[in-house]
Amino acid sequence: MIERSSSAMPQSGSRLPSDHRLKDRVTAPRGYWWWRQGRFSVLIDRRDVLALLVLLLALLVASGTYLCLGNVPIAPAALWQMILGEGEAMPRFVVEQLRLPRLVAAVATGAAFAVAGCLMQTLARNRLATPGIIGIDNGATAFAVASVVGVGLSLAPSAMALAGATTAAVITFGLSVGGGARGYRFIVAGIGVGAVFAALTQLMLARSAIDLANAAWPWTVGSLNSRPPNATLVLLIGLVLGMPLSLWLARSLGLMRFSDAVAMSLGVPMRRRRFQVLATSVVLTGLAVAVAGPVGMVSLIGPEIARSLGSPRQVPVLGSALAGALVMVLADLCGRLLLAPLELPVGIVTAVVGGPWLLWILLRSSGSR
Amino acid sequence: MIDEKLRRPMQAALMLLLVTCVASLLIGAGDVGVWRSLMVLFRAEDADAAFTVWSLRLPRTLVGLAVGMALAISGALLQAISRNPLAEPGLLGVSAGSALAVAIMLSLGASMMELRVGMAQLGALLGCACVLSVTRLRGVGNDPIRLVLAGAAFSSLLAALTSLLLLMDQRAADEIRFWVVGSLAGRRVDDLLAVLPSMALAGLVLLALVRPLSSLALGERASAGLGHHPGRLRLLAVIIVALLVGGATAIAGPIAFVGLVVPFLARSLCGPDLRRTLWLCLPLGPLLVLLADILSRCLVAPSELPLGVLTAICGAPVLIAVVRARRLPTLS
Amino acid sequence: MLSKRNLFCTLGVLAGVALGSSAAMARSLDTAFGEVEVNDDPQRVVTLYEGALDASLAAGVTPLGAIATRGGQQVANYLRDQVPDIQMVGLAGETNLEAVVALSPDLILASPRLPEAQYALLSQVAPTVVPPSSGFSPDAWRDEALLFGEALGREPQINEALAAVDQRAEELKARINAEGQAPSTHLVRWMPQGPLVMSTKLFSTGMLSAAGFAVEDSGLVADQRPHSDPLSLEALPEIEGDWLFLATLNEDGQEALETASQSEAFRRLDVVQRDQVVAVDGQLWTSASGPLAAQAVLDDIETAVESNATQ
Repeated sequence: MIERSSSAMPQSGSRLPSDHRLKDRVTAPRGYWWWRQGRFSVLIDRRDVLALLVLLLALLVASGTYLCLGNVPIAPAALWQMILGEGEAMPRFVVEQLRLPRLVAAVATGAAFAVAGCLMQTLARNRLATPGIIGIDNGATAFAVASVVGVGLSLAPSAMALAGATTAAVITFGLSVGGGARGYRFIVAGIGVGAVFAALTQLMLARSAIDLANAAWPWTVGSLNSRPPNATLVLLIGLVLGMPLSLWLARSLGLMRFSDAVAMSLGVPMRRRRFQVLATSVVLTGLAVAVAGPVGMVSLIGPEIARSLGSPRQVPVLGSALAGALVMVLADLCGRLLLAPLELPVGIVTAVVGGPWLLWILLRSSGSR
Repeated sequence: MIDEKLRRPMQAALMLLLVTCVASLLIGAGDVGVWRSLMVLFRAEDADAAFTVWSLRLPRTLVGLAVGMALAISGALLQAISRNPLAEPGLLGVSAGSALAVAIMLSLGASMMELRVGMAQLGALLGCACVLSVTRLRGVGNDPIRLVLAGAAFSSLLAALTSLLLLMDQRAADEIRFWVVGSLAGRRVDDLLAVLPSMALAGLVLLALVRPLSSLALGERASAGLGHHPGRLRLLAVIIVALLVGGATAIAGPIAFVGLVVPFLARSLCGPDLRRTLWLCLPLGPLLVLLADILSRCLVAPSELPLGVLTAICGAPVLIAVVRARRLPTLS
Repeated sequence: MLSKRNLFCTLGVLAGVALGSSAAMARSLDTAFGEVEVNDDPQRVVTLYEGALDASLAAGVTPLGAIATRGGQQVANYLRDQVPDIQMVGLAGETNLEAVVALSPDLILASPRLPEAQYALLSQVAPTVVPPSSGFSPDAWRDEALLFGEALGREPQINEALAAVDQRAEELKARINAEGQAPSTHLVRWMPQGPLVMSTKLFSTGMLSAAGFAVEDSGLVADQRPHSDPLSLEALPEIEGDWLFLATLNEDGQEALETASQSEAFRRLDVVQRDQVVAVDGQLWTSASGPLAAQAVLDDIETAVESNATQ
């Protein structure tokens, strides 16, 4: 869907405005393409479209590389043969059974994390306000670890992770009833709830058997190695529903970047929107954590990349999704290659590479925000 | 220094602290019960009980006193200089910074306590510097929640780095896994002696700084008008915080929320004045830490719960209470 | 008892020889995930479990790849010299499936705790043998070793190795129990927060009992748990006994002893003052299992008892 719309638009867009200018001297604003179809006309931000194209291209290249590299290197030509349905059995197994599901999981989780982060950041008008930072991840991790070390219910860790994210969010909602329109109280309540869940996770890890603690460990850092396939499927369904919803919410969010009074006078129902945005963000995060564990750093980095590439006028939902997916794919690729044959979990790669970069961005832009 | 408004809460807190200290000597996870311990306090014939009381419980009580004071004071200080009631060494990533520094030391194979203290204090200083430079961002300094968010982001980064060490070096892994949850178990008087000088130094500097610091609450301009240098004051206060938190972390591991809960309690007991808050923090900090430690010994005897978990569970409700209180953005 | 076990072993050997000679075809094994067809003489074996590596070495098959032992980045110390060229295919719990595929194995031996999702992938690479999980029991490793031996088509060798272990344990038992009563002991892992008491149902505690020790857990280890929570230092007298075996996750048990000795509560223990504390390799004592590990554990016990006798 993304691919078709973004590749079709520039062609028609570059032609139409010039035709139109001759007729009634209405021109597109600077930096926009104007696309007209019958009675409808759409303004398309050039920089946004270019940014999306660049991100999409980068994601495709990264995905191709991801499929080729690893303990069993596969030549790009052989990969092409496989896409055509030929090739030997062994490399086929590696690509189809091992790398492709993992690639899909990486793309889906990256997109979900980043979109969730983008929504919440815009709502709170704060680049640091992401679901991971305010403790949703911690809730999910605590539940998943509880499932691994055998406390409580015997559900699969991924189902428990989703339950944990929801629990953390519900508790936080309950504690922050009547908070300000920005959800500030929600954020601080979330940090508090997250701290308690983190403490519980530590408690379980410290008290559980050593082997179980090792088994639960990937859930505490975030890893894509042999993730439950059902969880990925659920996440994909969630994304299919969540992306259009997020795009729709982004229009209101664009207005909500003004002061509350302005937004309300422009017809944004603040309370309802705030709830919708927070809920979408929490559900996407919960689904993603159920697949990959807490890789919260992506929800900071993805939107940051999208914002720096795209136009400042838009709420970069699509851009964040692509950038998040790209970051996740590259990080997991690094994690698989760096210490091969041992694997570095993707959560650690994003934290180690993304963390300092994020700090640098924050500090560099001091005073110029 | 002790005025009318401070006297009553101070007396009550000191009484409670005394009772708690005695309780900390009497109650434990082992066979030596309250009665045997009480007998030891009067005459020392029972060798096992005497050993348990004097060599196991006394050191950890002393460590609890020092750690509680250090964390409570540094919380109050951070809140004063950032004019933000949510600023807390644990929430802002200062403890995580020193925890990471110690984790690095452990994985490099060092086990000397003195080295560990120095590294922990250096890590705490770096943590402070990072978080406070985030407050230099426009619009963050006067918004309590942005500072906390920056701290949370920073802590999660440091936690991930500590996890990386866990993966890379399994020798340290066991030690780190238990160490990233704060605890007073098995601490010795030697460990305390290693951190005391730097903590005492921080305390002395603080005594000289209290008056100028409390003028900061009036705002930067007013403080400068009274002849102080706000920038220099902040720097000194940050160094004090780093010394205290680094010391406390080196000896007991990261213990969250003490620096949030205690100043909050102190302020609600004796008003917002920084001098009174700091004095009241001195008995209240250890009171909280020791109470949590006694609980940690009793709940799952003959094992123990990690102390950091208990303080987090006590502290989070207070965090939420602070946010729900009306006068959120201002400290005074 | 002894003679009966020997009889069984002999029967086993005979049966094994009979099977081995008659077969040049695929055989069917009973595993945790149902029947698995294994071809008769596997050449390229990958082990995803400490016990499987140990068993296949005991059976005389050198695997191509193995996972690192828990708490390390290589195979356990006691096996390292026997497999200098072995490929690492991941850490315990984080198997790198691509590395397994790269070795193109014809047999995979895995842990009873292998997740089903992993089995689904691994079984497409090669026949994957997963022993049925039997909870914690000191003899579970025997069944596992027998199954692995059967999968490798080398039951006689495994039976021989098991018989050798039994015989040596009996000899040691005779020596240790010579003075009458079985000496009481705990197996303990020293953690920074205090010691973990290991369950009496583990491989190494099973070997200790087989060698004539009365292994205790002082009622601290819950059922189906491999060890207790870290004990409070105040409760340290719980691990008092005639002997104390002390381990950590790292290779060097001696280091654990030094750390523990810094604690005065530990130094006060009677067993410490009598110098009956044995520092052991935690990788071997708390992570490994199998016939070779059993011999190595018995080595440790024998050394400890001998050095105690000479003092």
